[in-house]
Amino acid sequence: MSRKLTPLLLAMLVLAGAMGLKTAVMAHSGSAIMMANGGAPVPQPPMANGGAPVPQPPSAQ
Amino acid sequence: MPSSLGYVIWLLATLLEVAVVVCAISRHCFGRYLCLNLYMLSSLFVSVARYLALSHFGVRSGEYWYLYYYSDAVLTIFLYLALITLYLHVFDEMKVEKYVRLAAVLLLAGTALFSYGVVHQSFQSSGKMLASFVFELSQNLYFVGLVLTYVLWGAILKLRESRTQLIQLVLSLGVYFSAFAATFALENMFPNLQFFAYIVPALGCLLPLAWAYAFWRLAPDARMVPARLAMVPR
Repeated sequence: MSRKLTPLLLAMLVLAGAMGLKTAVMAHSGSAIMMANGGAPVPQPPMANGGAPVPQPPSAQ
Repeated sequence: MPSSLGYVIWLLATLLEVAVVVCAISRHCFGRYLCLNLYMLSSLFVSVARYLALSHFGVRSGEYWYLYYYSDAVLTIFLYLALITLYLHVFDEMKVEKYVRLAAVLLLAGTALFSYGVVHQSFQSSGKMLASFVFELSQNLYFVGLVLTYVLWGAILKLRESRTQLIQLVLSLGVYFSAFAATFALENMFPNLQFFAYIVPALGCLLPLAWAYAFWRLAPDARMVPARLAMVPR
């Protein structure tokens, strides 16, 4: 295999592994927040109920 | 609004982020681990911006909502770049920097494309889709970072890396990611416990604490003595 294709293969392998892990972890979860940088309070996530449309934020209503 | 304890944890995390940058500058490690320090600096500025937005608009406001998730995505990308920098340090003697950089760009592009594909089906409005894309990208990059950290752990063991500071930086990142995953799993098992509301922000203190320790106490060129070398018979 070409050495230039090796990074592509590794990137795809890592991406597939990461998305597989996410699917396994998120499958039985009620909340969607997995990580937050810093200690600030976390607002309601945009996709808290699966793929349902996101309601308008309070300021836009 | 967060409680007093929440504010204390948030302030502590912010002070620890300052400590990381100060320790890195005082020990002349700022340039060596530039992306790590840029991540800490940007996290510090984001904390200040979030506090201003929170105090002016409130936690349920649209302004705070957008600022929080958009800045979180930027910070996660910075953390991803910091992790790639650690890869470059571990593999620097193998002269494969070009391939590591190429793989990093491909992985970031692939994650962004995957995230777009996930949210594209669900949203018609471009404004809502952009916000959901940013959120999805941030979450997906977290899992990519988790996998990459464990792969880097394996590479460090395989290559018998002995630079103490580098090992401390990678191990603390692994503990940080793992602690979040463990907390997430426990939160799903015990959803009614309010205790977890403080755990996630408290975990945010772990990474800057470990990195500040690594920069302050460990010399940049200090190396661990492998046990098998210490046992060589004369």
